[in-house]
Amino acid sequence: MTLENAYTLLYSGALIYLAVLMAVMMVRSIIGPRITDRILAVNMISTMVVASIVILSRFLEEGYLIDVALIYVMISFVSILIMCAVYIRRDRPKKETGKKKKERRKKK
Amino acid sequence: MTIAWIRFALTAVAIVLGLISFTGAVVGNWRFGFIMNRMHAAGIGDTMALFLVTAGIIISSVSGMDILKLIMLVAFLWTTSPVSSHFLSQLEYYTNPRLDDEVERRDRNGSDGNI
Repeated sequence: MTLENAYTLLYSGALIYLAVLMAVMMVRSIIGPRITDRILAVNMISTMVVASIVILSRFLEEGYLIDVALIYVMISFVSILIMCAVYIRRDRPKKETGKKKKERRKKK
Repeated sequence: MTIAWIRFALTAVAIVLGLISFTGAVVGNWRFGFIMNRMHAAGIGDTMALFLVTAGIIISSVSGMDILKLIMLVAFLWTTSPVSSHFLSQLEYYTNPRLDDEVERRDRNGSDGNI
């Protein structure tokens, strides 16, 4: 076995295995049951995608794919942040004003 | 030739360990029943697994710029992963009506309830 064959075997095996793990996490994100479970599963899938892009950059000998991975990390981070912010803003109890706070303290 | 094979062995060990960590994260995500536990499992995938896979690629890499970018990638993910975990737990805190079944917490309106 030559060195190139060994590297090819390692990288393609790792990519196939990561694809299987991604499929498993996709099922988890469909099952749910809550919104946070789904967001977390999608977060994990994006981490695995980053790992596979990094492996692919070495496999195909294309250095620019690492830049793609960097951008992918940023986009997944922002998407999770925005999704969480939207749901938090919808369900968060509204902040008390100073006047109401004083009244509540007096009651106590 | 021998040095190249040693390099390959180090790469293979790092990547396989990373894949094992990813497997642990996925299994934990399936077996734990509550989101906070699942976040703990997902943290393994976000930090250690990606670091090991990237370390394997760094060992086999030749270009200095690629190595720098990979280190930047890991540093960025290590910075962003706790922030997204924090937001996820905040979302769980505000949206789950049956949170008290799983965790103990202080009064929402108390002085320490402000998160």
